[in-house]
Amino acid sequence: MSVLDRIAERQLVVVTGKGGVGKTTLAAVLGRLLADRGRRVLLLEVDPRESLHQALGTEPSGGEVVPAGPGLSIQNLQPGAVIEGLVREKVPIGYLARKITESTAFHQFVEGAPGLKETALLGHAYRVLQAGHRPRTDLVIVDAPATGHGATMLAAPGLLAQAAEGGQLGEMAAGLADFLADASRCGVVLATLAEEMPIQETLELIALLRVKLGLRPELVVANGMYPALSPGAAPAPGAHLWQARRRLNEAELSRLAAAWDGPLVELPLLPLDRGPALVQALASLLREADP
Amino acid sequence: MSGDLLQGRLIVVVGSGGVGKTTLAAALALGSAKEGRRTLVMTFDPSLRLKDALGVGEAAKDGPIRVVEAGPGFLDAALLDVKRTFDRLVRTHAPDAAAARRILSNRFYRDMAGNLAGILEYMAMERLFEMQASEGYDRIILDTPPTRQALDFLQAPDRMMNLVDSKAIRFAMDPWWEDAGRKTLALRIALKGAMELSDRVIGRRFLLDVVEFIRAFAPLFDGFRSRAEEVRRLLQAEETRFLLVAGPGPDRVPDAMFFLRKLQETGHHLGPILVNQVHPDPGAAAGREPGTVLLRFLAERDQRGLRLLRSLFPGEKKIISVPLEPVPPGDLRTLGLLFDKLSKAAPD
Ligand SMILES: Nc1ncnc2c1ncn2[C@@H]1O[C@H](COP(=O)(O)OP(=O)(O)O)[C@@H](O)[C@H]1O
Ligand SMILES: [Mg+2]
Repeated sequence: MSVLDRIAERQLVVVTGKGGVGKTTLAAVLGRLLADRGRRVLLLEVDPRESLHQALGTEPSGGEVVPAGPGLSIQNLQPGAVIEGLVREKVPIGYLARKITESTAFHQFVEGAPGLKETALLGHAYRVLQAGHRPRTDLVIVDAPATGHGATMLAAPGLLAQAAEGGQLGEMAAGLADFLADASRCGVVLATLAEEMPIQETLELIALLRVKLGLRPELVVANGMYPALSPGAAPAPGAHLWQARRRLNEAELSRLAAAWDGPLVELPLLPLDRGPALVQALASLLREADP
Repeated sequence: MSGDLLQGRLIVVVGSGGVGKTTLAAALALGSAKEGRRTLVMTFDPSLRLKDALGVGEAAKDGPIRVVEAGPGFLDAALLDVKRTFDRLVRTHAPDAAAARRILSNRFYRDMAGNLAGILEYMAMERLFEMQASEGYDRIILDTPPTRQALDFLQAPDRMMNLVDSKAIRFAMDPWWEDAGRKTLALRIALKGAMELSDRVIGRRFLLDVVEFIRAFAPLFDGFRSRAEEVRRLLQAEETRFLLVAGPGPDRVPDAMFFLRKLQETGHHLGPILVNQVHPDPGAAAGREPGTVLLRFLAERDQRGLRLLRSLFPGEKKIISVPLEPVPPGDLRTLGLLFDKLSKAAPD
């Protein structure tokens, strides 16, 4: 069974990595590939500055679900909005709900409660997957926020469950934590560049996921690799830069490979701007490389 | 000369993650020291990259470490471990050791204080404020965390004051649930209802943890309030410059615009904008070889990014293009070379 076969069986896939490494692009690529396999996929973007829609060539989401081709939709989600939506649902009296969501105490709580924002986002993904939800969704791919470590998001429900033990909030968070810990339903994909700091952080993240959450990534993608120069190619001006960056990529990739024995795919830096053509090209490459 | 690059007593380096803030902050600090200034570079990046770049160890978490002596000038580096700073502040400001222990061992403090309304950014600002007030430095260069939250700095003083003055805190400080007799019946019923609701939803233990934390923390509030105002003044001072680092290419421009707008709206003084890791022109290579095609694309893409940024900021002479280095600068020698390049690229 290939890695993509396995990922296609999941219900929730979290794509994480530090900012600028191609996380959003990779989330779009996975969304495309899995939708092509007949799964109904929702891509959730958490960054308030939307870019997922550009990768897929749609309108910006602004919080709404936007179709992005057969079997694929995207949605940009802000934790504050999700939490306020929950309050409105739980407190049916509009005036009272507004009173709550406009209060300083509420905002302090939302900002300060450990893991609340992240839990709300994952909770939204969980609800979308439930049988009664329309439109039906088989798989949610989360383009995790670039803030802090990707592990923060995945650890959030457990942390909140502990802090708010005994209340409904705590119970909800505990249920979500169990869901995330179920490797047959949830998976993590790591995106990185083969450069020193991103690789360092990827290695730390892999260790953190294992130790703190007992999770093992489904796949690590080394993105933006300078392709190897073909042997006969005349050294163009700029070849020095090229060779140095390629050597750096190779050295960092072997550092990663020495510490990570799971599935690893390299994707090249392509001469394409952000957009559907780039996503399409990377999707074919990932499909071919599928370990 | 370094032109606009090294202007101000305090230079705050901001930008999105992965654009090279730490490297540029270190290079600028080194340059400043070599120009004869007593310079401190501070970072509170969780991965503490500066540690490796400048060769300073864990000890720099406790206080500044001398990195370079340069005649009248020198370079010190300090690494900010936010949790440690907070703990230290609690110990200094708490009325007695028992009060300090009460705060430090509170579950809410341990799990949650880190997220509380930018409190840690505020702590970092406190530390910065102490450093610049110490008069030991001519210039401080501050490297901010690798996220949007870098701008939480700006809001930290306001949020701190909001928090201290917020109803929630006054509510918790006033032991209303212990003294229901004073309240009207209607208020008692309303409070009881609110308490039951939050108890059911949030859980009693959690609420009690929060209340206990706020009470233990309260003696520190007065000091915070007056300092918050001073920190705000420091950030908006004429001698404080915000230096934005942006990634190359048009796709990174919205990120840069976000920071620029925010800084302008809030009345902070903008220093130069450094567009980092710009691919150099590979020359007039005519080849169709894939490598040549890619390099030409990247160089052209990065120029497009620069043009876009310049068109959005017409008349802005301070947009400086910093070339992608074949090997990332990671020690004093290469940081020095980078500074020389920066000075040449900077308009006077
Ligand atoms: N393999 C690739 N080849 C060329 N450009 C890429 C590649 N991967 C990502 N990019 C570009 O890099 C930039 C950052 O990618 P993005 O996916 O937005 O990163 P993140 O979500 O991690 O911040 C975008 O302009 C994107 O189009
Ligand atoms: Mg992104």
